[in-house]
Amino acid sequence: MVDFTYRDETYVFNRATRYLARTEPQQRHNYLSRLQPDTVRGNVADAWRFPVLDGAPAGTDANEVTFIYRAWNGRSPAEVAVAGTFGELYQPIPMKAVGDYFSVTVTIPFNQVHRYRFRVDGTWLVDPINPQQVTDARGETWSRFFTDYCTQRLVLETWEANILDRLTALLLPFRTELGRQFLDRSLPHNYRLDESVGVVNYIDKILAREENHRLFDYRTCLSILNEVLRARDFVNEPEAMSRALYEQVLGEMESGNVAGWDLDRYGNPNFFVKLLKRHTVTGAFCHPKYGGNVNGIAWAYLEERFRAEDGGTLFNWRQAVEQPLGNNPDYNG
Amino acid sequence: MDFDVVIIGSGAGGAPIAHTLVNAGKSVLVLDKGPLLRTQSDNLDGISDFKRDELLANGPEKILNLPGVANNGQSYFPSHVEPDLNDEPHIYKDKQGQERATIEGYTANVVGGGTQLYGAVSVRFSREDFALGSLNAGRTDLANDPNGDVPREARDWPLDYDQMEPYYAKAERLVGINGTAQGQIKPFTSGNNTYQTPLEPNPISQIVADGMDTLGMARYRTPLAVITEDHAPSGRTAGNPKTGYVNRYGDPMGYKSNTWVSLLRPIKDNPNFELRPNCHVTHLQAQGDRVTEVHYLDPTGATKVVSGKVVVVACSAIESVRLLHISAARDADFENRINGNNLLGAYFLTHCFGGAEVRLRRRFDKSISLDSDWATDHCANPDWFRGQGLWAGGVMYNNTSDQALPLALARHDGSADLDTTWNGWVGRVFSRANSMPGDQFYDIADFFNQELGTRLSVSFMANQVPVRANRILLHPSIRDKWGLPVALIDKSWHSHDLAVMATLEAQCRAILEQGATQNGGFDNGNLESGFVSGNARIANHILGGARFGTDPTDSVLDPDCRAWNFENLYVADGCFMPTSGGGNPTLTIQANAFRVADRLLASGRI
Repeated sequence: MVDFTYRDETYVFNRATRYLARTEPQQRHNYLSRLQPDTVRGNVADAWRFPVLDGAPAGTDANEVTFIYRAWNGRSPAEVAVAGTFGELYQPIPMKAVGDYFSVTVTIPFNQVHRYRFRVDGTWLVDPINPQQVTDARGETWSRFFTDYCTQRLVLETWEANILDRLTALLLPFRTELGRQFLDRSLPHNYRLDESVGVVNYIDKILAREENHRLFDYRTCLSILNEVLRARDFVNEPEAMSRALYEQVLGEMESGNVAGWDLDRYGNPNFFVKLLKRHTVTGAFCHPKYGGNVNGIAWAYLEERFRAEDGGTLFNWRQAVEQPLGNNPDYNG
Repeated sequence: MDFDVVIIGSGAGGAPIAHTLVNAGKSVLVLDKGPLLRTQSDNLDGISDFKRDELLANGPEKILNLPGVANNGQSYFPSHVEPDLNDEPHIYKDKQGQERATIEGYTANVVGGGTQLYGAVSVRFSREDFALGSLNAGRTDLANDPNGDVPREARDWPLDYDQMEPYYAKAERLVGINGTAQGQIKPFTSGNNTYQTPLEPNPISQIVADGMDTLGMARYRTPLAVITEDHAPSGRTAGNPKTGYVNRYGDPMGYKSNTWVSLLRPIKDNPNFELRPNCHVTHLQAQGDRVTEVHYLDPTGATKVVSGKVVVVACSAIESVRLLHISAARDADFENRINGNNLLGAYFLTHCFGGAEVRLRRRFDKSISLDSDWATDHCANPDWFRGQGLWAGGVMYNNTSDQALPLALARHDGSADLDTTWNGWVGRVFSRANSMPGDQFYDIADFFNQELGTRLSVSFMANQVPVRANRILLHPSIRDKWGLPVALIDKSWHSHDLAVMATLEAQCRAILEQGATQNGGFDNGNLESGFVSGNARIANHILGGARFGTDPTDSVLDPDCRAWNFENLYVADGCFMPTSGGGNPTLTIQANAFRVADRLLASGRI
């Protein structure tokens, strides 16, 4: 049985009220109409925040995951529980009512992916808020969540990730001789990190959760790109095509004029480049818990590259950041 | 009666009143719509609700879904405690008269309010800032003021600097501020200053110091609400507060002196104090000249009512005015009492704001700094600004922590405000296919090589001319998630504001030009300056809209910040200001709130 706790009222309200409390159901958060109409998650703000992930005490390498359920039809249930692959799948953990919110908190190690369901007065339900869902081998739908530092592929297909890896590497500093040397020097002996320092993993995670509304853009553009690339190189698989070809195609996308691009399927390839650039720089330089910037390697690159005349670094990121990633003696992360 | 005092809002306006009255033995309830986010030491597990995490200051993409506004469908990237624009937008009219939703305004929805996210610059206003009416009476030499608007609209505050001074001193002592007094134009008359000792400036700030010295501008260490030593009044222990995670970040360590750690946490266990976070006040109800009921929604959205002998509204200028308008719309007598002179919401103010920025040939580590190191009151000197044909002056200071971290640099590149995040670098052409032969391949490394740690800026913050047409109204059709009308802000610049801004911009530019030339120089085209007139954005400091004064026909509040025609209704955030002052407003809001608390105690109302 997994350990669980009930956090106090303020803790639950601090994480629920802003997003869930409201008077009238209106589809205020139905981004680009890409969510199914009239769902609870179109009514609430930041549906992706649920279940709530928080830091666990320093050194535990885990998240505190708080499940929150609230009834939306005015009927408050008598009994709510949650069960998932993080515990005994058929031994639901009872959730405790705090006002209209039912909640329970479990501690789950980093880099895990789990599915779960609520049992509400005896009926099994997917989480009506959390947009992440998966279907199991028996065709049953579950809600899903993942913890920090997650490296498991969630939404991107392998071929999609391969093309993305090539595209993002073009933007990052590690394609240069200097960057390569840095990677070789900085990484553990038998560990070969790709040039994108986890950016593709970050993009996979943000498309699975925070910016799920952009999965459509990636799906569509990577599919078109796959066709465009194959039309120009009959020999190689896209992941093996030349850098010059990728540079050429990205340049064309930036100009909005790509030979062979189906504008009916995606009308603004330049918009996709901007999206990709935002995600690439964010994934490279964000806190590593989001899945990119593995071990703070992009920060370390800036630290090494920018030096004063006396040899000291001009980007001492470590002094502000928690251990073991950084070396701040007081901040616990 | 449930409480002696019910205070709506826990930021710079509400917290000093709660602190004073609880210590005086009064029963106080503070309601705040935001969560109570705690520091590391507040939480038993040693993990703060705030993080040094660049994705908290500007989060994932959200998309505006407000049919009818001009920026509908556009992306925005708010912090984790800023309002969700789809749930509770602020709407303003742009120069073309189109309505736009905006995240500008620093209305942080969290206990501590805007003081959680601010850069913590805590300057006093000058003696002249309190007396711009009399200072400008009869003047005909003012630049760009053909109709004499400025002398007609300028107002003295109903108290002078000397009356406010002891409250500045009190705020500085209790909030916890580091800085230096020498070099300031503002006199410390009630005793020695209680500033904590500032830390060593970031080396990049020497350029600004050299520039100011060359131009003969007396300088002082920018007063910042960050503790550098143990702070006995709030029981805080000092540590190393220098990080790039300053402006727009809550501080997990509590070194930044937000009103939660400095004023509310010290009283939190008093039996006569209660804080209810996550509670949104919907309206006030009155019987005659007494506000009898405060209606709010509890954390689950259920309606609740509470009462106090006195009610203090302090939920930031725009939201306070909106709350009063909404209350008035339900009750003609309330409307007549709060807005009988049609001044509620009028004379909305921000600051004349702008500055200069240089890209240096040298690189510095800006990620180890506080928000600012050096300030000067050169342009706040009345001899100087009167000589320039200006009605008022303001402070100038350098920004140290801006764009210190990689993501802040990339997402704010080329953006004018918080509504245009991620508009710059992502649009820069990076591919060879689009460049001229021989051009450098423009990738992230090139960008950081050019920009990280090489930019230095100096800003000014000066008085904006009060204009009656600049006002906060209720939007006729857009409603928040509770079904309540949202705020509509109508604001433009007076032509004299443009003269103020152009003049001060040139001073900021001169500081950088002089300083940079003496310190390795800069390349042609790498010194830029400007001010905020380019668009009608609201800007960070939201002030005015319920100004105080001595004449009930010319103001909304009396000199004690009590609504003229209510016996027990006070308004204590920045909306009381009749002029916006020549500096960042938070310290003055705090000082005034301490003053209002004393006036309340002396009034016999509680």
